[in-house]
Amino acid sequence: MGIVTVLWKKWVEFRRDFYKITVAAMISPLMYLIIFGLGIRTTSHGEPYIHFLVPGLVAMVTMTGSFGAIAQNMSVQRLYEKALDQVMVSPTPLWQFILGQVIGGSLRGLYAACVILVLTIPVRHGLIFNGMSFLIMILNGMVFATLALVLSFLAKTYSDAPRFNTYIIMPMSFLCNTFFSTEEMPDGFRQIIEILPLSQASGMIRSVANGESPGIIGFIVLFVWLIVLGSISVLFIYRKKNL
Amino acid sequence: MIELRELTKKFGDFTAVDGLSLSIETGEFFGLLGPNGAGKTTTISMLSTVLLPTSGEIFIDGARLTRAASEQKRKLAVITQEYSMRQDMTMDEVMEYQGRLYYMPRKEIKRRSAELLEFAGLAEYHRRTVRHLSGGMKRKLMICRALLIEPEILLLDEPTAGMDALSRRQMWNLLKQVNDRDMTILLTTHYIEEAEALCDRVAMINQGKLQKLDTPQNLISELGRYTVDETGETGLRSTHFSSRDEAIRYLEKTGSDAALRNTTLEDVFIECAGRKIT
Repeated sequence: MGIVTVLWKKWVEFRRDFYKITVAAMISPLMYLIIFGLGIRTTSHGEPYIHFLVPGLVAMVTMTGSFGAIAQNMSVQRLYEKALDQVMVSPTPLWQFILGQVIGGSLRGLYAACVILVLTIPVRHGLIFNGMSFLIMILNGMVFATLALVLSFLAKTYSDAPRFNTYIIMPMSFLCNTFFSTEEMPDGFRQIIEILPLSQASGMIRSVANGESPGIIGFIVLFVWLIVLGSISVLFIYRKKNL
Repeated sequence: MIELRELTKKFGDFTAVDGLSLSIETGEFFGLLGPNGAGKTTTISMLSTVLLPTSGEIFIDGARLTRAASEQKRKLAVITQEYSMRQDMTMDEVMEYQGRLYYMPRKEIKRRSAELLEFAGLAEYHRRTVRHLSGGMKRKLMICRALLIEPEILLLDEPTAGMDALSRRQMWNLLKQVNDRDMTILLTTHYIEEAEALCDRVAMINQGKLQKLDTPQNLISELGRYTVDETGETGLRSTHFSSRDEAIRYLEKTGSDAALRNTTLEDVFIECAGRKIT
């Protein structure tokens, strides 16, 4: 029931800011597509580079869409508007609030990915996006929505949210299997990058797009991230002394 | 019934609330008074579970209040000092969100929202976003939001701050009405006359500690029902007397710059807070 309440609120926000959300979801991936995909024409593993890039961009926008939908929103609610107080004092179980945020955030990421899939129709001939791809997108979105929750509970000031974006999301966007394969990275560094959720999500979506099996390892890594970050966010909302 | 047992809240080295113990009976209108930084808002924040106590406990009708205590939280509604609402939601959405958080059926939410917004004179603005409301309208909306769920306990943190005199009087009447329906009210306020007019009992706190706790009349009697104000070189000085005759005798001895009046709760407050500050 509490989950439905949170999703209703997310829907109200989405409906109101529909155009802003849609345009924001399009801008940076579109830039990357134009610059790396169409401007600098090259190949990867004998295939047009755009075939490598599109699945990576889809994974990346599920990350940025989900993270952005929660991190900014929750930080503002908690630190500036104090609107979280309304939830804290209500009888709605707080774990349901967390789960609602995670699902809502993930759906926003999925919406951003769908926008990119529509935009890339003319250039992604032969790439497969099916139910499995969407499952990976949802899972990836859930991981990053949960990460956003954890960070927004840690935020001390309103300006911390954009900082998290700069320190965490931006490096992951460039390093985690989006624009180039992690295989080309030096040992040690490669292993660290590969356990990050975006590397796994990009790899799995790319495998599905090329008609291959995504494997099980990526799912395990994403689930581990989800359980760890989800547990921390639930722990914070129940136990953090000063919310 | 609300019971605070040895409630303490520390922020680093600073103790905001220091071993506060008190009970508020069901249906009581209770005032929590104190100067700025006395620990009033921190106490309300602990009651709303936004802050967890460093030590001590809160009980609602005998059961411990925690963030997981949905049964106890169902009884509570809070009106915070700040406008704790999403700025980009309309009044209707604010009310619906509140109703949904308390598991109210949608039809009931719509019916009660319409009634409350009409009562508060906000009905014609129901599609306006919070961002576009005046300070007074936001306050009224917060009260409508709190009353929507028909709470058993209403926690009010400076509910009339920033309101003009007329709106404040309207608010007093409204609060009296809901209190008459057996709703327990805990009020923090800077306006001492507000506490005197509304509260059955008041607690005065300073530097997080309980200083006095009694009915306004008993607190006034304890200080002395009559006050003589004298204007001297060091400013206004008030002297309190338990009998009118005693006060008049004192007045006769002093110069022409003195005046006799009834003691108010504000005198008790100044005596209590001032003594601690100086």
